[in-house]
Amino acid sequence: MKKWTSMLLSTILLLSVLAGCGPSKSADSNSGAASGGDGASGKPVELTFWGDWAGEGQKQFETMVDAFNKSQDKIRVKYVLQQDMITKFMTMASAGGEMPDLVFWDRWRTSLYAPKNVFHPIDEFMAQDKVNKDDFYGEAIKELSYDGKLYGLPLTVDARALFYNKKLLNQAGVKPPTTWDELEQAAIKTTKWNGSKLEVAGFSLADNGLFNMYLQQAGGQMMDETGTKTNFNNDKGKAVLDFWDRLLNKDKVYKVGFEQGLGEGTDAFVTGKLAMQYTGPWMLSTYKKYGKDLDFGVVVPPVGPNGDKGSVMGGLGLVIPEGSKHQKEAWEFMKWWAANKENALLWAKTSLNIPGFKPALQDPFFQNDPLWKPFLDTLEFAKIRPQHPGYSVMEDDALIPSLQLFQQNKQNAADTLAKAQQRGDQLLQDNAVVK
Amino acid sequence: MASKGRLNGHQEKMAYIFITPTMLLFAVFTIIPVVMALYLSFTNYDILSRMDWVALDNYKRLFKDSLYWTTFVNVIYYSVIFIPLNILLSLGLAMLMNYKRFGVRLFRTFNYLPTLTSAVAAATVWIWLLHPEFGLVNGLLSEFGIAGPAWLAQTETAMPSIIMVTLWQSIGSNMVIYIAGLQGVPDYLYESAKLDGASAFARFRYITWPQLRPTTFLISTLAIISALQLFDQAFVLTQGGPGNVTKTPVYLIYQQGFKQLQMGYASAQAFVLAVAILIFSLINMRINKAEEPVV
Repeated sequence: MKKWTSMLLSTILLLSVLAGCGPSKSADSNSGAASGGDGASGKPVELTFWGDWAGEGQKQFETMVDAFNKSQDKIRVKYVLQQDMITKFMTMASAGGEMPDLVFWDRWRTSLYAPKNVFHPIDEFMAQDKVNKDDFYGEAIKELSYDGKLYGLPLTVDARALFYNKKLLNQAGVKPPTTWDELEQAAIKTTKWNGSKLEVAGFSLADNGLFNMYLQQAGGQMMDETGTKTNFNNDKGKAVLDFWDRLLNKDKVYKVGFEQGLGEGTDAFVTGKLAMQYTGPWMLSTYKKYGKDLDFGVVVPPVGPNGDKGSVMGGLGLVIPEGSKHQKEAWEFMKWWAANKENALLWAKTSLNIPGFKPALQDPFFQNDPLWKPFLDTLEFAKIRPQHPGYSVMEDDALIPSLQLFQQNKQNAADTLAKAQQRGDQLLQDNAVVK
Repeated sequence: MASKGRLNGHQEKMAYIFITPTMLLFAVFTIIPVVMALYLSFTNYDILSRMDWVALDNYKRLFKDSLYWTTFVNVIYYSVIFIPLNILLSLGLAMLMNYKRFGVRLFRTFNYLPTLTSAVAAATVWIWLLHPEFGLVNGLLSEFGIAGPAWLAQTETAMPSIIMVTLWQSIGSNMVIYIAGLQGVPDYLYESAKLDGASAFARFRYITWPQLRPTTFLISTLAIISALQLFDQAFVLTQGGPGNVTKTPVYLIYQQGFKQLQMGYASAQAFVLAVAILIFSLINMRINKAEEPVV
C-alpha cells in the first residue's frame, strides 16, 4: 500500500516537472493572436507601455496614460512596471515573447541597441504627421538617432548645473561663481576644517564621471573627429587635472570619500556640509522639500580658462520595439505625449522634469522660475555623451579608475591621461562592433 | 535469495524514480545551460540579433584583455587573505561556541545572524559604518586618537574593507558547520589523550584538526568558489573602484554580457573563471587529502 502511494506520488511529481516545460509557447501564441484581432473589430486597441519607474514615477506615468485614454476612445494604453526592464526586454526579444508597444528609454543606450534592429524607426510617422524635429532639443534627437534614422522622441532632458548653498556663500561673502577662478575662490572661502576633520567642503569633487563636463569647459572633447578614439590626453585634459589637483591638494576644499554612502537626508548638501556641487534638475524636488532649512540657488556651470561652456545632456525618451504589433497606435501615443505643447507641459508639471519639446518651455512655469531658468540656459549649450557603443565602458573601466588614482596622489597627471587613453582606446575598439 | 534480488531490483527502480525529478531539474537548469554557454563562448551571440560562429576569437581577445587579468589578480589577493582568515575565525568561534555553558545557544544565534541578511542590504549598512567622517568605525577609532582612513574610497583599504565585510557575513554559517564537525569527534580520543598527558594544544593539533579535515575541506572548497566569484559586496561597496582595485571577474562578466550585450565574450570569460575555480579546488583537494583522518 505504502509503496503504491509513493510510486504514485513520484509519478505525479515527474509529470508535473515535464508539464512545466511544455505548453508555455502555445499560450503565448494564443494571446498574441487574440490581441492582434482587436484592431480589426471596433474595440479599442490595447497598448502595453513598459517603464522602470515605480512609486511616484509610476503615478506620474499613470497620470499621462489616463489623460491620453480619456482624450480618445480608439487606443487604450496600460502602463506595466518592469523593475529590471532591459533584462526583461532582452528575454522577450530572444525568446519570442510578446513585446511591449512602447518602452521608456534611457537615450544613451540607443547607439548600442538601435544597430540590432530591435526598435522601429519613426521617420515615416514624423513625415506623415508633419512633426518637426527642430521643435526638440537637437542633441536629444541626435542621441535617439542611428545611421540616419530616428528611433524615438525625447520625453525629458537634463544637464548638470552648479547648486550652491546661499547661506554658506553669504557667510563667506562670495557670489555664485561664473568662472573656474571664481569657483576656486568661492570654494576656498566656504571650506571649513577642524584640525584634520573636514567640516564643510567648499565644492564637491566626488564624481569623477563629470570629467567630460570639465573637459568641455576647458575647450576639449572626449572623442576625436572619427568618433572612435579618445581625445583627452592633451593640454585640455591636463588643464582639468591641474584644476582638480589645485582644489584637492593645494586649496583643500574637498576630501576623497567625503560624501560616499550618504543617502538622502544625510546628503552633505542638505546638511550644510557642502557649499557647492554639480548636479541635475532631478535633485530640485528633493532639495525643495527642506524649504527654509536649505536655502539654495542654481547657476549655469562656470566657464573654463578660455570662456568655454560645458555640460552633458542626458535624459529619457520613448521608443517603439520592432516586435510591437501596434506601431501606428504607439506612435499616436508618443506624439500626443512628447510632441504636444499642452501634454508635454502637463508631463513637466506632474513629474517636475524638463520636457524635450521646446515650445512647452516657453510657459511661465519654466521661464519665471529662478531654479528652472539656469537649467534651460545650460541646456542651450549642453552636449550629449559621444555616441559610441563602448563609450560607457571606456569611462567606467579606463578613465574613471585612472582619475581615482590621480585624486589619491597615486599617479601624476601625465600618466593618468596616458593610461586612460591607452586602456580607453582599447576598450572602445573591443566594444565597437555591434551589428 | 531470489526474493532478495527482487527486492534489490525494486529498490533500484524506486531509487531511480526518486532521483529523476532532481536530475531533470539539474539537467534543465545546470547541465544544459553550461553546455550552451560553452557553445556561446565560440560565437558572437548578443541576445538580440546575431549568433555566428567566431571560433577562438573571444578567447584570443580575452588573453589580451588586461582588465580581465587585473580582476583575476584582485580576487586572488582577496582569496589569499579571505580563505585562511575565514577558516581560522570560524574554527575559533566554533570551538568557543562548542562549550556547554548556559546561554551559549544565544551567542551561536548572534554569530549566525549576519548570514541571514542579504549581502546587498548588509553592504549598504556597512557603507554607512565605514564612512570616513560620520561612520561608526572611524568614530570609535577617533576615541583612541586614530584618524581612520576613507575605507572604501582609498586604494589601500578598499579591498581589506570588502574582506572584512564578507568575513563578517560568512563566518556564521561556517561556524555552524564546524560545530557540527566538532561534535562528531569521539570523546574517547580526548580522554585517552588526556590519560597520556597530552596538552590542550597537542590535543587540538593531533585530534581535533585531523578529525575536522573533511569539514575543513568542505569549508575551504566553498570559500574558494565564493571568493573567486566575489560580486555583490564589491558591487555595492565600491562599484569596482577606486582605480579598478576591487573589480572582479564576475563584475566584468556581468558588464560585458548584460550591459554591452556581448554574451559570447562574457561566456568565454565565465568559462575561464570556471576553469580557474576547478584548478584551485583541485589543488585544495590535494592539500587536504595529504593526510588521511585518524580513525
